[in-house]
Amino acid sequence: MSIADAATSRTKAKVEEQVAAVMGDGSLNGGAVGEALPVVRQRSFDQVVRLYLTEMRLFLRESQVVLFVVGFPVLMVLVLGGVFGTDTDDSGFEFVNPSHYYVASYFGVVLAAIGLMMLPTQIAGARERGLLRRYDTAGFARWVFPTVQYLCGLTFALIGFASLLVTASLTNGVPAPEDLVPTLLGLGLGTLAFISIGVALGMLFPTGRAAQGIGMSLFFPMFLLSGGGPPPEALTDGMRAVANWLPLTHVIRAAQEPWLDIGDGRNHLAIVGGLLVVSLAVWLWRAGRTSRAA
Amino acid sequence: MQTMTPGPVLEMAGLTKRYGDRTVVDDLSLSVERGEIFGILGTNGAGKTTSVECAQGLRRPDGGQVRVLGLDPIRDRSALAGRVGSQLQESNLPDRLRVGEALRLFATTKTQADEALDRWDLGDIAKVPFARLSGGQRQRLFLALALLNRPEVVFLDELTQGLDPDARRSVWRLIEQVRDQGTTVVLVTHFMSEAEALCDRVVVMTDGRMVAAGTPDELVDRHGRGVRVRFSGTAEDLDWVRSLADVHEASVRGADIECWGRSTMIAELGHGLVERGRNPIAIRVEQQGLEDALLSLLHPVDNAAAARTEAAA
Repeated sequence: MSIADAATSRTKAKVEEQVAAVMGDGSLNGGAVGEALPVVRQRSFDQVVRLYLTEMRLFLRESQVVLFVVGFPVLMVLVLGGVFGTDTDDSGFEFVNPSHYYVASYFGVVLAAIGLMMLPTQIAGARERGLLRRYDTAGFARWVFPTVQYLCGLTFALIGFASLLVTASLTNGVPAPEDLVPTLLGLGLGTLAFISIGVALGMLFPTGRAAQGIGMSLFFPMFLLSGGGPPPEALTDGMRAVANWLPLTHVIRAAQEPWLDIGDGRNHLAIVGGLLVVSLAVWLWRAGRTSRAA
Repeated sequence: MQTMTPGPVLEMAGLTKRYGDRTVVDDLSLSVERGEIFGILGTNGAGKTTSVECAQGLRRPDGGQVRVLGLDPIRDRSALAGRVGSQLQESNLPDRLRVGEALRLFATTKTQADEALDRWDLGDIAKVPFARLSGGQRQRLFLALALLNRPEVVFLDELTQGLDPDARRSVWRLIEQVRDQGTTVVLVTHFMSEAEALCDRVVVMTDGRMVAAGTPDELVDRHGRGVRVRFSGTAEDLDWVRSLADVHEASVRGADIECWGRSTMIAELGHGLVERGRNPIAIRVEQQGLEDALLSLLHPVDNAAAARTEAAA
């Protein structure tokens, strides 16, 4: 038997073991090996579905998540829209309708709530409780848990966006994007970036409680300085300088500028892309260093 | 039914695991046969959990070999899924996750989850969140989760820690049921009474090394001081007691004679006392258990000192 044949034979034996484990009856026939990979994929897909449904239930039972991701942005859009009105002659809002300005901003605030509070608290809490080890020993593929967190983050982002759009359309209206593709690109990349930041922070914080505390102390300054609080002109130079270093500023501006035609958002989009890469790298680095047993 | 792999269910050969400069498991070799309850005993920090985590594929050994059902737990992780069950030390569930939901999450099918609810008598608490379960209910749920897929071997790490004696005994009965249904059980515990009540064979670890192995009875015989008998007597009886073949040591303790020896000395003593016309007011016999035997093994100096203190008193 050649080395290639031996390797093929070992692979076949391994796949047969996998089929036996998945099928649970140990009965293999001639077609089983060919069917093994689809069966393993099906098992992983089932795991994703089961864990996704469970995690969504758990997120929805956390009043803080529902409050900050859905309730808070909606409430603030209503309050700030009521305070600043719809006049377009205010240089503080770059001569756009203030209500529209905040609608575009608060898409970013939804993402900040997901990436700085919801996901880090959940993931750090799961690590603290040894849940990842439990998933591991129960045969869940290791990519299932982070994938599900991404999916949950995406679902909540869509829920938050939809709530904002419905609220805005019922009050001061939703601004039509001036440049649709860059606006969607900014929103899409910003969503992925902040979900990745959330997963990375969840891997860095030692406990769920620490994640919650630190997440809140990151969220509020970002929300106030990056576009969710006072108009940029009302900020001091120092505050504006700080805001330029905050990730949320760039996530908001990347979508807001092309949406409201107050810039092309390209520089911000490039920074958001960088944030996505860095947060993914941090996550992968932590995932590689952190033993499931730890 | 799963395919039954011939040979040992768990095999470790020269397993070594280090954290930095510290060796936490040092050249551990053992073999667990199908259908037994196998205990891994030792004090806290002895390396029990780390050894089992290597077998569960959670840690990569630094040396030696581990095989579970003939497979490598890290390389063949996917093939072992469903054939191995695990109850992990210090692994909880989310507070708001309900019992039924936990079973549904880890079961392959809904039918399997429903069966587990019935089998483990969890139906009444199916909608109770994890945070509101009692210690005993939690352990029952963990056991149900570990055995959901009817594995061939299950690792139970400190399953009864924190339970009251009554709940602990209930869990013991469940573990025996598991074994009776054909699952091999690897039990990690520092409760000697638990190992004595449940295990067919045990290994004892300290400082990462295996220091004893055998059945609980063998370990008691090998490492224990035997049987202790105390009866009312005086120094005049001492020479006679010491002359009995199965008495290892004897001494006067106040108004009593205390002697240690093999269990066969009990009949000799009783017979001799009757022959000598003695009618002891009180005769007390104590059989050393696994705990005493292993304490003697693990802390011989401490125990010798304690014995001297007791003698002086």
